[in-house]
Amino acid sequence: MTTLACKLLAYGAWGKGFENWQDLQNILQGKGHNESMPVSPKPEIIPANERRRAPLPVKLAVESSWQATQNAGIDPKELSCVFVSGLGDTQLTDYMCKVLAGEDKQLSPTKFHNSVHNAAAGYWTISTSCMKSANSVAAYNESVSLTLLEGITQCIAEGVPVLLTFFDAPVSAVLKSLLKNETPFAFSMIIAPSDSTYEGLTLEANVLQETTAWPVFSSHYDVLDNAYNENPVAKVLPILKHIINKDKSALTIPLSAATSLQLLVS
Amino acid sequence: MDIRLTNYQSTSAAGVDLAALRLALQQQNSGLRKNDIARSSLTTWIGRVAGVEDVDLGAWQSRNNALAALGLEQGTIKADVHGLIGKYSAGRIGLVMGSSTSSIDRTELAYTDLNDDGLLKPEYKQELVHNPHAPSLFVAHYTGITGPTLTINTACSSSAKVFATAARWLEANIVDAVLVGGVDTLCLSVLHGFDSLQLVSTEPCKPFDEHRDGINLGEAAGYAILQRAQDADVQTGVCLLGYGESSDAHHMSHPHPDGLGAKLVMEQALDMAKLEPAAVNYINLHGTSSQANDYIEGSLVSNLFSKDTLCSSTKGWMGHTLGAAGITEGLIAADTLLTGLVPGSMNLTTLDKRLDFNISAENRQADVHYAMSNSFGFGGNNCSLVFGKVDE
Repeated sequence: MTTLACKLLAYGAWGKGFENWQDLQNILQGKGHNESMPVSPKPEIIPANERRRAPLPVKLAVESSWQATQNAGIDPKELSCVFVSGLGDTQLTDYMCKVLAGEDKQLSPTKFHNSVHNAAAGYWTISTSCMKSANSVAAYNESVSLTLLEGITQCIAEGVPVLLTFFDAPVSAVLKSLLKNETPFAFSMIIAPSDSTYEGLTLEANVLQETTAWPVFSSHYDVLDNAYNENPVAKVLPILKHIINKDKSALTIPLSAATSLQLLVS
Repeated sequence: MDIRLTNYQSTSAAGVDLAALRLALQQQNSGLRKNDIARSSLTTWIGRVAGVEDVDLGAWQSRNNALAALGLEQGTIKADVHGLIGKYSAGRIGLVMGSSTSSIDRTELAYTDLNDDGLLKPEYKQELVHNPHAPSLFVAHYTGITGPTLTINTACSSSAKVFATAARWLEANIVDAVLVGGVDTLCLSVLHGFDSLQLVSTEPCKPFDEHRDGINLGEAAGYAILQRAQDADVQTGVCLLGYGESSDAHHMSHPHPDGLGAKLVMEQALDMAKLEPAAVNYINLHGTSSQANDYIEGSLVSNLFSKDTLCSSTKGWMGHTLGAAGITEGLIAADTLLTGLVPGSMNLTTLDKRLDFNISAENRQADVHYAMSNSFGFGGNNCSLVFGKVDE
């Protein structure tokens, strides 16, 4: 078994009840949620005219990504990135499918190019002038585990710091019977190679040839608890608890039908 | 890096399998036809794969999954995956799929047939189909792979990037083999989406031609099995030598005017392969037949490579297969290492007068040791791959 290791440098977050990483830590530490939240994130890094046209999932992803780079004090241009949404932009899917079900199939060109799954990666790299590798992935309920694996293997193989951003928005009415999520959630972390000069906690990951269930998670804030069950990317929450508490015990999460990902924070 | 391709297959309008594709390339038979997709009256040409409509997948039904299944039935790709599962266990086999449409074709269809409350009818309540991970969920189900399974959706670079991710997983030793694939299908979203951007041609596409006026959309499924060199029991004779991944940081749907991101990936892929540009015998260009892409990519290639490097775009055979283009064209490039048959750039009559590189409408026979394939997608997402012959 090969242990994959990296350093954890900084975080960003935006979701219902929290508009930054400190807010989310407060919730996870039982200190209550932010009750004066704006309706939508307003990522200042996206120029105003572009921001107006940016869909909610893009704004979620870019806001938490920007926070993480600010917290790390790293220029976004230096970061490769992996963006993950388990559900995609179902509001844009809804728009396109409604238009295409009609007689006049004229789509908005802006909405069409915003409908690509890598719209968030696109807006991010354009807004920050980042020319590094930008990945955009999906793995449904295992989106968190696979994105950690993709980010850490990239960090090790290429020897570069990597921004990982997990984001999913509420699902459109038609698809809600299948993809139940009602809660916006975004979280970003920046990782760096173990042998780099950056300072941070160490994250070790092992791929185990055994299955496991998602761990029980409770935060005493029902919005977050529901998100954990319904929003694919909120499954990152137990890992954040480990990080906040510097919990050195192993945390094992599902990776695939026959494997799991064992995580150790130290 | 020493990653071997131990098997590969391709399904597109140019041929249902690799053998049919080779024949179509050799005989310069295009698979493009006038648009005949149901419910679309758009005047254009498309690369539709015959027979997809006949694949019945029950609860997994979508055109995209049907094409994915058709592709897996070609050659010995599925049998080889089963052999590897027997050798290593299903959990040590990884799966990385690239797609841009996933199964949006099925969601489009569901929306034409909603119930009286405007909600999904029972036959469309397919949780594992109406989501961006659908191609991998289906292929894992169809092949029995239970190791790490990821979908890459970076538009038209998706199934080029699967090679990079698979190579990293193999190098990290978290799997013993990876099935990489790409699958995208013709649907209204892409036909009318690209039309809204005024990028679709009403005629067969003519990449790099002075009089090109847009793209043709196509569909394809492609697969390759990747293994570390020391584990590869069977050989095709092809290895992956390098990859490059970058962002344009310019615009969601227009390429960088100077092609900076595209230049970066070609340089990165060459660096990783430890090659000088002059060593590359053949480049399968992204060559969509759009005004902007072909001028920018062609200018870069004119500047970076010598006249000894043969170049072509093969989109005249099957159209732009979007998220499946990376692997479809990567495998066409890789296959020239074995066949020596360098496909021409179909429908090229007069090269864009601003460009100056070695491109020809005619097929050429050459001794190809190193071949490159370029893929550039929306969001300014770029990937370049370099394949080489395995040293005997």
